[in-house]
Amino acid sequence: MRRANALGLAMIALPMLVITVFIGLPIVLAVAFSLGHTGGPNSNLSAIAQHEHKSNGGLGTTAAYHEVLSDHQNIRDLIVTIVVTLISVIAVLVASWAVALYLRLSGSRLAKTFAALSVVPLFIPVVIASYAIRQFYNGDGFFRGLAHHAGWSNPPILSSTTAGITLGEIWVSIPFAVLMISSGLAAVPDALIEAARDAGASLARTVRTILVPMCAIPTVIAVTFTAIGILGSFTVPYLTGPASPNMLGVTMQHYFSAFAEPQQAEVLAVVVFVIASLAAVWYVRANATAARRSGATS
Amino acid sequence: MAGISMNGLSKVYPGGVVAVDRLDLQVEDGEFFALLGPSGCGKTTLLRTIAGLEQSSAGSLSIGGRVVTDLPPGDRNVAMVFQDYALFPHMTVADNIAYPLRIQKVGRTERRGSAEETANGLSLAGLLERRPAELSGGQQQRVALARAIVSRPSVFLFDEPLSNLDARLRLEARTFLKRLQKELGVTTVFVTHDQAEALALADRMAIMEHGRIRQIGSPREVFARPANTFVANFIGSTPMNLLDATVADGSLHLACGTIPVPADVRSLVHEGDTLVVGIRPEYLTMTPGEHDDGLRGTVSVVENLGTYALVTLENEAQTFGVVTGEADEPALGARCSAVPQPGRVLLYGAEDGELITAERTEQQEPAEAAS
Repeated sequence: MRRANALGLAMIALPMLVITVFIGLPIVLAVAFSLGHTGGPNSNLSAIAQHEHKSNGGLGTTAAYHEVLSDHQNIRDLIVTIVVTLISVIAVLVASWAVALYLRLSGSRLAKTFAALSVVPLFIPVVIASYAIRQFYNGDGFFRGLAHHAGWSNPPILSSTTAGITLGEIWVSIPFAVLMISSGLAAVPDALIEAARDAGASLARTVRTILVPMCAIPTVIAVTFTAIGILGSFTVPYLTGPASPNMLGVTMQHYFSAFAEPQQAEVLAVVVFVIASLAAVWYVRANATAARRSGATS
Repeated sequence: MAGISMNGLSKVYPGGVVAVDRLDLQVEDGEFFALLGPSGCGKTTLLRTIAGLEQSSAGSLSIGGRVVTDLPPGDRNVAMVFQDYALFPHMTVADNIAYPLRIQKVGRTERRGSAEETANGLSLAGLLERRPAELSGGQQQRVALARAIVSRPSVFLFDEPLSNLDARLRLEARTFLKRLQKELGVTTVFVTHDQAEALALADRMAIMEHGRIRQIGSPREVFARPANTFVANFIGSTPMNLLDATVADGSLHLACGTIPVPADVRSLVHEGDTLVVGIRPEYLTMTPGEHDDGLRGTVSVVENLGTYALVTLENEAQTFGVVTGEADEPALGARCSAVPQPGRVLLYGAEDGELITAERTEQQEPAEAAS
């Protein structure tokens, strides 16, 4: 027994070490740097800073937070980040549920074609997809050209707008969400759907009372990871969004490389991290609730 | 309560697979009717078509005199119990039972009351707040039954509901199901591939093959007088002996012996006819040694089946089985004879495999005259 425990510990030791060194430690250092602890391991980063706030010891100083969060431009970027994330997540959720439901309930050849096509964006690098989206919605892009031919004289230019970012985020995020929700729906036995139909439930009622609750965890996973991915995204907003306001990923990059202010960049990173943590907490709670309901932890 | 009537009912799947082939069938009001047959015979498809989970390709279906052929499942007033019970894992037992009432928009208090009342009747009272994963197989089955009962349907449809239970629980559940059905008096169609279940439960049963019904009758009729060699082979815990024979000198000459032509069909067979003799192993009486009357053979296998043994006798051309008491087990290699019990020998046509009976001959004669 003791030998088995030792073997188990040895097996998880390496991954734990990797997580500690490459994820845990950088998080601690970044938070420390944002609080003005600029020495030690942070001294190299501090050396390139044009402008930073140093702590006088103890827990540190929140001066960098005051500076960054009192800048209206940053607040606008924060709002854009949250709004784009919320709209994208809702749109991804609705679209991926619709696609996944169609795939689950229709055994047609068209559905199988859809199933194959729905994951294609996963295999296209985000930078290429973002550039394609930007060109598609440009002033002289395909979208406007098509709209002109269809008789729409002045269609909007969506490239370099917040709407463009949202469209890009949705395009990039849908395949993962479809995969998650499809796999959740595939795990629901046909007999349960038929039992609901036998009891007289309409399709909408079956979806609401059986499929949605039974796919709660895949849905939570899809929402959480989509939200966290969009919150911290850079490529899509950088290529498809406006110069300002833009999402915090782009702003962070500007602080870091254009303004040479890594401390302010890390303040923004901590803000994004805190928001993402809220999604992570929701995810953990939902998982725990599902486990309790299924009797796994009873 | 309601009877079920099917006229020319067919189900053909895309690709041309005929699962149900022009069925005409009447299930009487309050009857416990079993659909029995080997895997792939179409019995489950027929049940699902009655439920409305499959759309029929042709023909009509009525329940309680109302044509329901094109109605969705919820409008047919039937309740199905699925093979693996199909309980909703995210709902409590109470919510599972009350689900049909929730769909019917019955108020929360009323449906809770109905669920409790139904659960009490099925000894589920203490389990209402549990989830299906926390129940045993037998309890899950009773929850599925409760969900079917709670909406007071006209017809119960059972799709092999005992198949997931262990042997002992299956026997208990069988008795329970039969008693419950008699108490409720609801017309019930029960699908099974287990003939013992069908024989034990059903008022009447239909044996299916390739989407068609090969025989309908009471369990006793089907067991005692299988209408054809397919049913004869399928029904019975030990397979019926089906032995080729020729009519000569007023007797049936088999490779393993000679037996008299049964009196009730003596006028229906003729010298030189080749037939198939059907005798259940249970209806053969075995004696040691060789006798002129009866079937003869050498004991090649003895299978001990508890209170009785199935003895296989072989001669050069034919093999047949005999059931003996545990005290009468012969030794391997012994020569024995077996005499059919009076009235237990059946004759089947060698070509069509159908039972030769006076009724069948009466039916055939007008048809031949017309042609």
